[in-house]
Amino acid sequence: NMASGQQWVLVEMVQAFYEAPAYHLILEGILILWIIRLVFSKTYKLHETSKLTEKEKEDLIEEWQPEPLVSKDHPSLSYDVVTGPPSHKIIINGKECINFASFNFLGLLDNERVKVSALASLKKYGVGTCGPRGFYGTFDVHLELETHLAKFMKTEEAIIYSYGFATIASAIPAYSKRGDIIFVDEAACFSIQKGLQASRSLIKYFKHNDMEDLERLLKEQELEDHKNPRKARVTRKFIVVEGLYINTADICPLPKLVKLKYKYKVRIFLEESMSFGVLGEHGRGVTEHFGINIEDIDLISANMENAVASIGGFCCGRSFVIDHQRLSGQGYCFSASLPPMLAAAAIEALSIMEEDPDIFTVLREKCKHVYKALEGTPGLKLVGVPFAPALHLQLERSLGSRDADMQLLRTIVDHCLERRVALTLARYLEKDERFLPPPR
Amino acid sequence: MNVGVAHSEVNPNTRVMNSRGIWLTYLLLTIVLHIVLLSIPFISVPLVWTLTNVIHNLAMYLFLHTVKGTPFETPDQGKARLLTHWEQIDYGVQFTSSRKFLTISPIVLYILASFYTKYDATHFLINTGSLLSVLIPKLPQFHGVRIFGINKY
Repeated sequence: NMASGQQWVLVEMVQAFYEAPAYHLILEGILILWIIRLVFSKTYKLHETSKLTEKEKEDLIEEWQPEPLVSKDHPSLSYDVVTGPPSHKIIINGKECINFASFNFLGLLDNERVKVSALASLKKYGVGTCGPRGFYGTFDVHLELETHLAKFMKTEEAIIYSYGFATIASAIPAYSKRGDIIFVDEAACFSIQKGLQASRSLIKYFKHNDMEDLERLLKEQELEDHKNPRKARVTRKFIVVEGLYINTADICPLPKLVKLKYKYKVRIFLEESMSFGVLGEHGRGVTEHFGINIEDIDLISANMENAVASIGGFCCGRSFVIDHQRLSGQGYCFSASLPPMLAAAAIEALSIMEEDPDIFTVLREKCKHVYKALEGTPGLKLVGVPFAPALHLQLERSLGSRDADMQLLRTIVDHCLERRVALTLARYLEKDERFLPPPR
Repeated sequence: MNVGVAHSEVNPNTRVMNSRGIWLTYLLLTIVLHIVLLSIPFISVPLVWTLTNVIHNLAMYLFLHTVKGTPFETPDQGKARLLTHWEQIDYGVQFTSSRKFLTISPIVLYILASFYTKYDATHFLINTGSLLSVLIPKLPQFHGVRIFGINKY
């Protein structure tokens, strides 16, 4: 019957245990010892915080001597005061000067239409949006601006950020993670450098605009990938370049870059803050300048604080690529969206750029004119290409130290200011720049 | 970390094994697997025990020691991209309670399986091999080590 059957099974099992081979029992013995050791050994806990006594707290507070945030003789404490909008003329310390010191390339900053549009938006929406884009911060003007930008650039999609500097600095780490590789030009601007830093990727610098140097690095990487294809399969590779370099005022050799992109299977990120609204027949930037198909570039980023004369920045490209930033672009997800009136101003500025592409021709003529005038200034070296909207003047011979050079340049700027010509010194965070440009 | 409650973990994988009820869920799932196998006709009891042990260890090997990274995007730029779940548990701290529990459970299952298979040599070989596949990667000495580059990238 059932009961005796079960009993028989149990008896049989116990018998099997007695007849078990020694190796098996020894192994089980070791395993049981292991369990006992684990159970009785110390269990480590996470977040074991040490509590400070009241006296220790008092001591720490007592010990702390606050330092001034800015030392009294800091150069930033002597500044010029600008009143009114910085358009063709700028009022510095109450003196009206010709403006050579701001990035308002198309003169849209003081444009009547832009102002009217921004004011109308201000009356409708108020100032702030009180939330990030994904959290009640999306207004119709944001969507309109994104569509408008995408249409203007002839790409599938555009995404706007509320701060120009954060645009490329957020876009790079959204795609490139730990273990990925970024090839970048030595002259890349500070916001690119911050993006590279935030990405935690492996950064490989190539000499400024030196395509042979870049190809050398890409070949090296190709060899490495060949040796370790498993690793290569999970490594993303990017080239990050600027359309028009703010640090050198020259343009990247885009056609060669696109060739290298397809040859070595890397993605290209193009930062166009200086070239958007400047280069090309319709102001679409360096792609239009070279007649390159915009779909060959994986991501274009630009800020709207230069030619567009608003605030913020945007990225554009294929929807597949851009849409990724809506959840992964830290600057997009975690900062309040662009104030609607600034978006409205940007929309109006874009409309003006679309309606009258001649302004770009005029701008280029003016640039060439200024270049010609500055060329051959004794003692100063002109850095840049003739059609660049911003140029650098460098000392031909250094005085020996950076401080002395800066001092001399500052004297020149002050002298020009007295003659009612506003120039500005290029300012760098000297300790933070990867390759510090010379004084200019 | 509890499911459905706000948390501030950069990588939720690190604390998920400390969630309330997760050990119980794991034990229940293993028991359900065993019962399902038992209910299949024409399979003998020793075979069911070996099957339970092997399937359990395969699943454990796959989820704890093979799959790397996280199923979600973490804000740490992919710190855990090349780490298995076992290596992510408790930020890599050794001898925590979750680690001890997950080490002891396959051993207990192995001892039970040995007993019910009556210490048969064939069953012994299969069960021991499968046990070692989940015990060796758990040793602190093998933390982050990829023998012969297996599963490195």
